[in-house]
Amino acid sequence: MGLALLVFQFVAVTAFLTAVAAVVVIGPRRLRLLPAELRQRVRIVTPHLLLLAVVLGLNRIARRIGPEVSWIIGMNITQSIHAVEGEFVAALQSLASPPLTTYFSFMYLYGYAFLVVFPVFAYIALDDSEPLREITLAYSLNYGFGVVAYVVFIAYGPRNFIPDLVDPLLYTAYPQSQLLTREVNVNTNVFPSLHSSLSITVALLAWETRDVYRRWLPIAWPTAASVVVATMYLGIHWGIDVVGGAAMAVASVTLARRWVGQVPRPVKRILAIREKLPRTR
Amino acid sequence: MRDAGRRMFLKTAVGGALAGVSGCIQRARNLVGRPTATQVSLSIKTMPADDDPYAIRVAQRLANRLRRVGIDVDVIPMRTDELLRDLLIRQEFELYVAEHPGGTDAEFLFPLLHSRYSEESGWNNPFGYTDLTTDELLEVERVQTGERRRESIAELQRTIARKQPFAVIAFPDQIGAVRSGRLRSWADGGLYNPMEFFSIQRMEAEERSSRPSTLRVMVTDDRMTKNLNPLAVAFRSHGYVTGLLYDPLIRRHDASPIPWLAESITWSGEEIPAKEIATVSLREGARWHDGRPLTAADVTFTYRFLADTALGNGAVPVPAPRFQGSISLVEELEPIDDTALRFRFATPNRRTAMRALTVPILPEHEWEPRSHPAQFADQTLAGETTEALVANNMDPIGSGPFRFDRAIADETLVLGRFDEHFLNRGEPETGNWFAEDGFDRIVFRVVPSDAAAIELIAAGEGDVTGSPLSANAVPTIGREPDLRLTVDRSRAFYHLGFNIRTAPLSNPHFRRSIAQLIDKASLVDDVFQGYAMPAASPLAGTDWLPPDLEWRGRDPVLPFVDEDGEFDVARARAAFERAGYQYSDDGRLLSQ
Repeated sequence: MGLALLVFQFVAVTAFLTAVAAVVVIGPRRLRLLPAELRQRVRIVTPHLLLLAVVLGLNRIARRIGPEVSWIIGMNITQSIHAVEGEFVAALQSLASPPLTTYFSFMYLYGYAFLVVFPVFAYIALDDSEPLREITLAYSLNYGFGVVAYVVFIAYGPRNFIPDLVDPLLYTAYPQSQLLTREVNVNTNVFPSLHSSLSITVALLAWETRDVYRRWLPIAWPTAASVVVATMYLGIHWGIDVVGGAAMAVASVTLARRWVGQVPRPVKRILAIREKLPRTR
Repeated sequence: MRDAGRRMFLKTAVGGALAGVSGCIQRARNLVGRPTATQVSLSIKTMPADDDPYAIRVAQRLANRLRRVGIDVDVIPMRTDELLRDLLIRQEFELYVAEHPGGTDAEFLFPLLHSRYSEESGWNNPFGYTDLTTDELLEVERVQTGERRRESIAELQRTIARKQPFAVIAFPDQIGAVRSGRLRSWADGGLYNPMEFFSIQRMEAEERSSRPSTLRVMVTDDRMTKNLNPLAVAFRSHGYVTGLLYDPLIRRHDASPIPWLAESITWSGEEIPAKEIATVSLREGARWHDGRPLTAADVTFTYRFLADTALGNGAVPVPAPRFQGSISLVEELEPIDDTALRFRFATPNRRTAMRALTVPILPEHEWEPRSHPAQFADQTLAGETTEALVANNMDPIGSGPFRFDRAIADETLVLGRFDEHFLNRGEPETGNWFAEDGFDRIVFRVVPSDAAAIELIAAGEGDVTGSPLSANAVPTIGREPDLRLTVDRSRAFYHLGFNIRTAPLSNPHFRRSIAQLIDKASLVDDVFQGYAMPAASPLAGTDWLPPDLEWRGRDPVLPFVDEDGEFDVARARAAFERAGYQYSDDGRLLSQ
């Protein structure tokens, strides 16, 4: 299977999961109202979406040049991580079985993508734009922290550092999946775990919106927990990466909550210019 | 009165204090030069599993043993080019586990071990090993012939096995996969030498039908997509990709020389002093990829340039580290006319001299401008380096059978056939097979892992692997009906390198004690899964190996310290004590 087909399959599965969840969680009533409201709602969160786009763009660039900069100024902390946590991931892998590997591989790839994508749609469908602004801000902060951490720290995951003890389960079971993950990950960027931080971010926000989306919480939490365990079970991340990811998630959500009402001045100015431009329909 | 008393008091106080201080200084001076003993602490630099399947496993096992004998150890995983930069350019390492490309002739040991190269970069004595006996043996070996040379080379191997500037671990097998049904006459060991690329042919069924035809090579090493400089030590291992782009005067395959840019070589030795002399005639009509003619001037330029890439304009010569040993074999080179040259070598051995003829010939018009000092470079220790050594050279102009087409960093490298190359013109001695049956393009595709490479080839998206696979891949290849396994013993060898410049690794007894912690036999069984040959000498597997250095179930010189196959900690610790080291009460090895 080529990369194009892999990407297609990945998008298709994620879209399917999102669609099913949309019906179950968002509900037909809100979905029916959504098209009419969509334009207005997106306009309100434009600054936040712009910020997210900028951070993701930076992240893309950083993935290319970050490792080069990292090797010059970064700290290689692989050995220190291993010294602190020892063989924890190996112990976790001692429970491995083919069905578990399939489950966690699915969660690591598709469960994660679904978990990160779905709440954006779910929160667009709300009258209150605050959760949407908060989640885009929180994602931006996560990626922002991540970019900095990946430049400052060079760390290889357990599969790369103690291959005698930890198997690269995802890549032995599904070799081609690495073609996909390589597009977004660099093998020296394991600390902190972005998979964990974004999953925990979603879980924290799911708690905040538990009253509007009662069915989201029981989906989000087990999925997030599975993704977090998967990162370690598959030999990709250390326990400490997950702890770092959790800290990043808490920091991102806390800051996002604090800043959610504010629009930074430069963004305001850009928006003001946009307002003055003639509308074309 | 009171004043006098006070003065008196002060005098005594100050005097007393001074006396006290001087007593302290006395004591302190006695203590100077006796630093408090701390635990011996070492780091092992190596590559992560993604970059090399074996090295980190070897390093981790050694680290465990070192910890058990009371040494504090850090294992530091590094990306291949970063590791090579630290080892071969910056000399920033204590221990490392990596592969040396090796060779069949003893000649490669000269730059690797001669003290003359201990401050140079590249695979030129990265250890900082300076030993008079070794130097002497290396020098006489170069000028001797026959049985006497053989004896010197045997003695050389014994010397380095005893003094351990590095510990040879094992020669791995090169494992590869080829998709059956598309290619014929590929080499048994896969594609790790340009000659193997030139001898690959398409199956007849396909020959007539499709033009242009593409050979798709799956590689796990992405360095070739970012750097194609034949002189860059951190980016070349075997250098087979730059070998496709740049032609040497002769190529060697299975140890036999094939005249390449040289159409013919006439050998005529000098008697006194015994020196080999070669008159080389270049192939007529040879051209660079940019269409300019390749002349004897380019050849003389290349040899001058490789010896000093600053072309005499630097404070000191800045040689090209990858070819320093080869270049040192050339004593004299003069052009006879536009297509002929005369070499005089520093050796009477033709086989050794031939090594000097295998360096890539560079176009003067491309490389002469690169002789200026480079900015932002870390290439040489003296702070002298040239653009030639640091350039990425991603628009290479060579004269090889393939020319650069395009590259995407970390993804692909595409080479196209160079129609004006003699292989494509049907010269008598090469036949016309290359033009008829060879491939028009070679696409190197970077894949994340061995498993991905195999899966892509099995799915028909690739033809052959171009980076050595790990032993783990063997059963997978066996399960795929369309794949053929290729296995050949490599001349490259894994070794533990020591930085001998600082204590405690400067102490040969200490290095020997460390070498005896390596259980080569079980590494070959467990880590290499049998696809390697344990060895005590870098020339193991060649006919230069003396019988007393042959592997006989265990290392003939520095056997693993074991008790019935189990690691014997007490005996290993005793070895360090005999070397003059002490243990603290809680079992830490203390620095002297």
